[in-house]
Amino acid sequence: MEQLASPNGNSHVNTNAVMESLELPYNRTIQEALGRHEYNFVLCDPRLPDHPIVYASEGFLKMTGYKAQEVLGRNCRFLQGPETDRRTVLEIRDAIREERSCQVRILNYTKQRKPFWNLFHLAPVYSRETGTVVHYVGVQTPLSKSSAEEAGDGNVVSDSLSESGKKVTADNDKNGCLDAHAHQDGDIVANGLDALNSRPRNGGLHLEEEFEVEEKDERRAITAVRSVLSELTKSSKSKGGIAEQRCMSLAESASVGVVCSSLMLSLTRIQQSFVLADPNLPDMPIVHASDMFLHLTGYLREEVVGRNCRFLQGPGTDSKSVQKIRESIKESKPCNVRILNYRKDKQPFWNFLHVAPVRGADGKVAYYVGVQLDVTLADTTECEEGMSAHMKQLGAVGAIRVAVRGLQGDGLRRTKKES
Amino acid sequence: MLTIRRCPTVVSNYQETLDQTTGCGHNCLGACCIHGAKLPVYSFVKFPSAKGLGLDFYGESDSSQVQEFDAQHDPVQGPALPFLNTLILAQWEDRLSRGLFRYDVTACETKVLPGEFGFIAQLNEGRHLKKRPTEFCVDKVLQPFDLKKFNFTKVGQEELLFCFEESEDKGSNYNEMVFMKDSPNVVIINVSPIEYGHVLLVPRVLDCIPQQLETETFLLALHFALEANDPYFRLGYNSLGAFATINHLHFQAYYLATPFPVERAPVRRLNDNEEQDNDVKIFELTNYPVRGVVYELGKSLEELVHVVSRACNLLQNCNIPFNVLIADRGTRVFLFPQCYAERQARGEVEPDILETQVNPAVWEISGHIVLKRKENYEMASEDYAWKLLTQVSFSEEAFSEIKHLIFSSDEGMEQTSMAGNLEKLNLSQLGKDSAKTVHQGLNNGNTKLRKNLSASEQVCI
Repeated sequence: MEQLASPNGNSHVNTNAVMESLELPYNRTIQEALGRHEYNFVLCDPRLPDHPIVYASEGFLKMTGYKAQEVLGRNCRFLQGPETDRRTVLEIRDAIREERSCQVRILNYTKQRKPFWNLFHLAPVYSRETGTVVHYVGVQTPLSKSSAEEAGDGNVVSDSLSESGKKVTADNDKNGCLDAHAHQDGDIVANGLDALNSRPRNGGLHLEEEFEVEEKDERRAITAVRSVLSELTKSSKSKGGIAEQRCMSLAESASVGVVCSSLMLSLTRIQQSFVLADPNLPDMPIVHASDMFLHLTGYLREEVVGRNCRFLQGPGTDSKSVQKIRESIKESKPCNVRILNYRKDKQPFWNFLHVAPVRGADGKVAYYVGVQLDVTLADTTECEEGMSAHMKQLGAVGAIRVAVRGLQGDGLRRTKKES
Repeated sequence: MLTIRRCPTVVSNYQETLDQTTGCGHNCLGACCIHGAKLPVYSFVKFPSAKGLGLDFYGESDSSQVQEFDAQHDPVQGPALPFLNTLILAQWEDRLSRGLFRYDVTACETKVLPGEFGFIAQLNEGRHLKKRPTEFCVDKVLQPFDLKKFNFTKVGQEELLFCFEESEDKGSNYNEMVFMKDSPNVVIINVSPIEYGHVLLVPRVLDCIPQQLETETFLLALHFALEANDPYFRLGYNSLGAFATINHLHFQAYYLATPFPVERAPVRRLNDNEEQDNDVKIFELTNYPVRGVVYELGKSLEELVHVVSRACNLLQNCNIPFNVLIADRGTRVFLFPQCYAERQARGEVEPDILETQVNPAVWEISGHIVLKRKENYEMASEDYAWKLLTQVSFSEEAFSEIKHLIFSSDEGMEQTSMAGNLEKLNLSQLGKDSAKTVHQGLNNGNTKLRKNLSASEQVCI
């Protein structure tokens, strides 16, 4: 694990963020504790930009042929390749979007671009306090023709693509939606999504012998997930800080100002300075601040989330501009103002601020977005450039609208049919 | 001629005022105004290499490639939104702030219908008001362009977001002011949006191409999806007879940050896995109310375009209405032959389904259903969606005929003429059907390939 500590590796997300991702929720011994497990697995952080790997086990590295510094900070998609089934990728994306577990058979590639069949099991780790997903555990179980005999050895990679080819077909015939094996896994039940198998499926195409092999592998994957999850729970800093099951509904956690992890995944792709404030909470506190906002204003995230935006104002701020913002919020309308704001170090800057209401799936205003643009150095004649910077602001607003409409609170997520 | 009466959707603010066709009096997208105008242009690279596809095979949002470990993207920020995406969203938001839309679609309530499939329903009371119902012919998939009817050259330039042109150099780029000549591919807003970012892509607007799918224009649509590179931005196409209302070639697209039910639906591989030649993987849906074929991009964009547009060509030439969904950033294409309009024209759609006034075009078929009335929205269930879509689908028997039609031409029979295929199909039809059994089939909720309906079978409403 010394690779992880090396700040000079070719890591793709900054090493601090990767370290903090583990250090904040768990004890300092977490690396060691995880290192004792021989499974092939990774931990990913959905609240960091691009959902990067923050821990990779020795088994995973051995199996895929990568070094730790080559994978830490990167999104897991590097395991995919040209023959990877698109629909299977969608199944994983869907699970992450719905913040639940899934198990799929997927064609992955080693660093040497050697394809292998992987039984991939994804499971979320929830925060008890906020209901968000803190990490995803991804367990890889390589499959080969005779994986039954090799069940004890996780490092065997089949290089026979054509032999495994038939399995894709069988896999595609598996149910399209919720994982067929979901019932073996606690959190699906907790999400109330277990009993959705109401329609007849064309699922009978599994070859008997393949199914045998599969079940064994599946059990193995689930055992691995359980061990890692229980290790994480044990290493959790505060008592009961981490849970294997969601103990707070998405709507509940949204109602106390928590941005869920799947919405966070969309928001971290927007490279603009912006904040989201929740008008449904007292004094309209900030519930999310982008990295670029923190960079612009000099504050830390924990210093701004939970506070009303007015801390940006100072002695030179024109009350008329503030009034204009208030009025547009009152009418649920967007507005642009040029307002003097202050950084944490009291340095003033001219902010060309765009404020707009953003609606959730229910059509009601879920948040106000404020997109900041530092125009201190821009002179008034610079109309053309100002325009395109403004267009970027509008682009951010659009992207936020799309994300919030689909992902905020209960959002557009599936629910169980009432009987 | 088979017809149904329905209210056309108002896609442009210039649609309603258009009974007089001479002179435009505004900055329109016709030759009179577009030539010499300076318009924003996004240029894309035609046939990018697998590497340049950016969309990659590597899942989410990444433009960096596997073998390139040199951190091309900002190490702190991760991959940004693709530029085309930001451009569409920014321009759309700008038109929203200018008040060009008939309603704020984000204020329309939407929900997922409880159940496994996750059908999405939206209550949209603003989309369908005003217009008087018009007679639509449902059994002519190819019709000549009619200059007298509304078309996209009549649209005002403020409804244009940008032009989408092939790049002359190696990279994609954007230029806010380009002197217009020729016939640009335009991206315009739909003033009655189904979701945020609803736009229409009109290939070579001045060429006045009727609604039909050809290789070149389908390639353009795929490029649009590839460049936007967002799994939640899909393109759709409705043929005439499959609920297209404007006979001027256009694709639709919008954002919705959830998988469509059809994208989750299980599939069965149709072409052989082992054959190296099969660059495009072909599947059929196995557990979905509408039967359809799914194409998956392999290494060659050209091959995908070839296979899909060939199938569409056969369908439209055989007068079979169909819908196309381009999903997963242009890597998966769904093709649905459909016969709802015909059933409707024949009075064979069940009254409780008809009563909800949903026109099952590409979005509905994919599982996103827009309802006009609150009571329908509140009562909507997975069973309703399933029932509605079942009536869109061809019967199993007819669908296998259709598969026969579109695949017999793909299996190495490059030289087979269209006429040959048609003949083959007709023969298989004639072998089985008489007009009588066809009608029986229809009454049983089935239908048939229509291309050789005799005059005696035609119904007018």
